[in-house]
Amino acid sequence: MMKILTPTLMLIPLTWLSSFSHLWRPTLSYSFIISTLSLTWIKNMSETGWTSLGLYMATDTLSTPLIILTCWLLPLMILASQDHMKTESQTRQRLYITLLIFLQLFLISAFSSTELIMFYIMFEATLIPTLMIITRWGNQLERLSAGTYLLFYTLISSLPLLVALLMIQTNTGSLSLTSAQFYFSLIPQHNFLWLACFLAFLVKMPLYGLHLWLPKAHVEAPIAGSMILAAVLLKLGGYGMTRISTIVDPISKNMTYPFITLALWGVIMTGLVCLQQMDLKSLIAYSSVGHMGLVVGGVLTQTSWGYSGALILMIAHGLTSSALFCLANINYERTHSRIMYLTRGLQIIFPLMAIWWLSFTLANLALPPLPNMMGELTIIVCMFNWSWWTIIFTGLGTLITAAYSLHMFTTTQRGALPPHITSLTPMNIKEHLLIILHLLPLLLLILKPEIITCWSS
Amino acid sequence: MADWKKASLSTQPITLDPNEYFNTSPEFRRQQKDRLAMQANLKRQYQLQLNNPHRTQLIEDPALNRWVYARNHTLEHFRPTLRTSLLGILYGVVPLCAIFYALKRDRWLRSGSQHW
Repeated sequence: MMKILTPTLMLIPLTWLSSFSHLWRPTLSYSFIISTLSLTWIKNMSETGWTSLGLYMATDTLSTPLIILTCWLLPLMILASQDHMKTESQTRQRLYITLLIFLQLFLISAFSSTELIMFYIMFEATLIPTLMIITRWGNQLERLSAGTYLLFYTLISSLPLLVALLMIQTNTGSLSLTSAQFYFSLIPQHNFLWLACFLAFLVKMPLYGLHLWLPKAHVEAPIAGSMILAAVLLKLGGYGMTRISTIVDPISKNMTYPFITLALWGVIMTGLVCLQQMDLKSLIAYSSVGHMGLVVGGVLTQTSWGYSGALILMIAHGLTSSALFCLANINYERTHSRIMYLTRGLQIIFPLMAIWWLSFTLANLALPPLPNMMGELTIIVCMFNWSWWTIIFTGLGTLITAAYSLHMFTTTQRGALPPHITSLTPMNIKEHLLIILHLLPLLLLILKPEIITCWSS
Repeated sequence: MADWKKASLSTQPITLDPNEYFNTSPEFRRQQKDRLAMQANLKRQYQLQLNNPHRTQLIEDPALNRWVYARNHTLEHFRPTLRTSLLGILYGVVPLCAIFYALKRDRWLRSGSQHW
């Protein structure tokens, strides 16, 4: 653990003390090295499930893929932000990279924490850099409202979680996840306790009825903010739900129905909203809500296929969604407009980028053999086993997902180029590299899905 | 051509407008000229921007901006009327209650009870 956390912490002096011409490339290279180091956690050799045990931190098959995703995303965020930060002052650029590094630190600590209070503190701490990134470097006036929504939705919903955790601590004397299987019977089972534990994560995921913060935050955030939000911060919610559900187990049987209902209906409703969106980032944001609705449904069934499918979909969706935001940002940097109809028919001028658009559109609509498909299929089968009615909504949801993904692709890539587009800056290799680095893990995961299926040996 | 019917989105061609032939006062003609001058000015501004070789950005369309703003800020102008309330109930309350009932009933039946 230290061999990942200490280099990440040391990236901060690197950003502040290096000379300006050596700011972006060294941080990029060192964060790549850190992400390669994090791959050593894939080998889970322990019988108890937990590896790299420290005093308060450990990894297991659930948290390892998420930590690797977080580590992988930092260099990608730095790569994506370099262009639009060129016009900022030195201090601002260093501050931006520092915020990204802090996010990485808090996220690694959150995913690898074994004490629930530490997880809670890191969960809340990730809000601060995200808020700063959105409200300072967002592009439109609405970023202030977006920051407010993000902050208050997440804070208000997670305050009951703090109370619940303290209550569990006083009743059982321990909040350690490693021994949760032994003390969970001491927790008084109460509906409000269940609700308090889960509400924070449901808002973070987000669940359909509580999702208002997400489109605002995603649309107004700069590219790195969108990437980290879509890829990792939403998964904090899924990870938290999976962890907490082992503790509040018996009462979950009755309490999950309204939320599974909301999640299922959310898949369809957000899909329909996506079909009539004209803002590209907003479309991708609502698509995130839909996919996370499936994850919520999978986790709340509390079966091992559900958890497994949820993790696979979380990892696959993290990479896909982040890549789609990068693609949207590549368009945005050229035209400074997110409206889909203003930048349509781009295949004829950017053919290679159209290939990446196609591959991530297909990933978004869960094309086999990509892990998106594996995750969605696992969750759909798990929910069908839970109750056969769910197949109507998950099936319809898959259909609508395919519809809006293809609509997004055909609007931005196919068709006639609008007559007012006379000159756009050509694509440079950095943008292609950014997208390839999203695509490569996704393709490699087809070959070894055992990493992300959360099967403990 | 004489069978042209008024439609909501199609503008009437000038040649089919009866005012063109039967109402040719100087006032009417002056207004027509003013309208054509305004349209020509707007077209000229667009053409100037379109053919400007040093243009690097998209041509700004205020109508598009207004439309996008309207699409994004519907929540601030929301007013509960009969139509919006019925739509909310139809798409929000009814499906949730129906799905909840269906799931609950199915799970209840599966748990062994023979009747609901």
